[in-house]
Amino acid sequence: MQTEPAVETSDLTKCYGKLLAVDHMNLKVNKGEIFGLLGPNGAGKTTTIRMLTGLTNPTSGAARITGRDCVRERLAVKQRIGVVTEESNLYGEMSAWDNLMFIGELYGVDKPTRTERSRQLLEFLQLYERRDDLMLTYSKGMRRRVRIAAALVHRPEVLFLDEPTSGLDVQSSRLIRSLIRELNEEGVTIFLTTHYIDEADQLCGRVAIIKQGKIVADDSPQKLKFTLHGEHLVEVAFGGNVSDVEAVLGKHPLVKDIVKHGDKYQIHTANPSAVIKEIVQYALSNGLEIISVNTKQPSLEDVFVKYTGLDAVQVERMEFRAMKAGGRRV
Amino acid sequence: MSNRLGDFVSRGISIAKKDARIYYFKPQIFGFGILIPGFVYLSFSLGRQIPNEILIPGLVAMISLFSASSIEAIAIPIERQTGTYELLQMAPVTTATIVFGKSLAGSAFGVVLSLVTAIGAMLLTGGAIINPFLFALAVIVGSFAFSALGMLVAAAVKDMPTANISLTAIRLPMIFIGGVFQPVEASPLQLRIISYLTPLSYLVDALREAMVATSIIFVVDLVAMLTWFIVLQMLAIMVLNKRLA
Repeated sequence: MQTEPAVETSDLTKCYGKLLAVDHMNLKVNKGEIFGLLGPNGAGKTTTIRMLTGLTNPTSGAARITGRDCVRERLAVKQRIGVVTEESNLYGEMSAWDNLMFIGELYGVDKPTRTERSRQLLEFLQLYERRDDLMLTYSKGMRRRVRIAAALVHRPEVLFLDEPTSGLDVQSSRLIRSLIRELNEEGVTIFLTTHYIDEADQLCGRVAIIKQGKIVADDSPQKLKFTLHGEHLVEVAFGGNVSDVEAVLGKHPLVKDIVKHGDKYQIHTANPSAVIKEIVQYALSNGLEIISVNTKQPSLEDVFVKYTGLDAVQVERMEFRAMKAGGRRV
Repeated sequence: MSNRLGDFVSRGISIAKKDARIYYFKPQIFGFGILIPGFVYLSFSLGRQIPNEILIPGLVAMISLFSASSIEAIAIPIERQTGTYELLQMAPVTTATIVFGKSLAGSAFGVVLSLVTAIGAMLLTGGAIINPFLFALAVIVGSFAFSALGMLVAAAVKDMPTANISLTAIRLPMIFIGGVFQPVEASPLQLRIISYLTPLSYLVDALREAMVATSIIFVVDLVAMLTWFIVLQMLAIMVLNKRLA
């Protein structure tokens, strides 16, 4: 039996004046998926989430959440979704508990249910003991955890998270990732954006890469990595003095590139087993000891680099900026 | 239908309770909502022999105007800045529910302060109100209209200083032409015509009616204030909805 997708867009487009923020996006996220939307700053991730959650109207095209139109059935959509924005926008002058009670009232959750649900969520997020403290006194990680709890009080079918772990401490990030997995096991569809490519790789069953408002890749992380066949990496470290590795191995027809990183050489090739034979041959003929040799498959970061056109350094910078939690983005 | 109305009212009340908790005790509210109208009134009335039926309605109407319109003029810019207004937009409530809840918070503040002022003024001057129920009713309806005025101005501007300056620029002329210090009938014809375009003059008039002798004019005043309330609310909803586009 065909079920309604949790999230579906058709030619979804958003313009801000002359700026085309999202360009005819066609996307389908099935119920029960953990879906990640990846892209550099300004690619249109946040605008997409804002359209899907009813915070802004599309310029053209349509979006549906569990079969309901995001514009025409705005309230029905909002009742079924939870949204966690990058800024933890809760009332600082109120306690965590009072914030959750207020949000529960707004979603029409009856008092016994919202009380029990809030207790469960705050216990899981290790904040129950501090539930009566004003939000102003909370750290950034604690505020984000309460913000996630607030998005879950009404038990949404689809949870949208915009940079859920950006700029957070390790403990908060782990708790949030663990909660995301647990919610997904309970059947909640997760739609997240993140700058952390490793995080997307670990969490998401499917990712889409967005560049300048357009989806340029959309598949499971593993399948996306397979699209980079011929992009294997062999990493080798030699004992003793070596000076001509790059010159000798670099000439081999199977070696696409060779780069020195610290005491290791990274060799890019389409045929790792043949290159490893060459490395062993080189070590034997020069009397060198091989300290370590590893082969690596392409990472999701490599896929991201390929589709966005950013280089590895730019990706690192992007992740660093996310760690420092930058401001609002398009 | 009744379910929808129930949701509208209950969720609006939740928003009002939240605003009351957070904003009633902000220092800016004390300054813009109580101190300024108090000083303005004292500076014009001290040393003058003003009859109670002019003094009490004028003072109460001015307190209602300043206090009821101040809450959301401060709350909405703060909520936009901190992102908490977006929290309301994410919830399954209409803009009308948000505007209703926020108007309720502003008007409740205006009603309480105005009635406390009325009781205090009566105790100090020995004045009496012939129809206290209608006096309170006029204060309630007037405060709703002024709260909606504060909502509209706050919705239309970007930040708190602009909201307060814009609101002051609207409120000060209103108190000079709205019959606060002298009956509208004593003003020149041109000013009299302009004064009928402000909700304040209807509240002052309704309060005087309730204080001395109630006539059909009271109903006209009440209908005029209700019309102002509805028009200002609708404009506020339109301005806030425009931001979604």
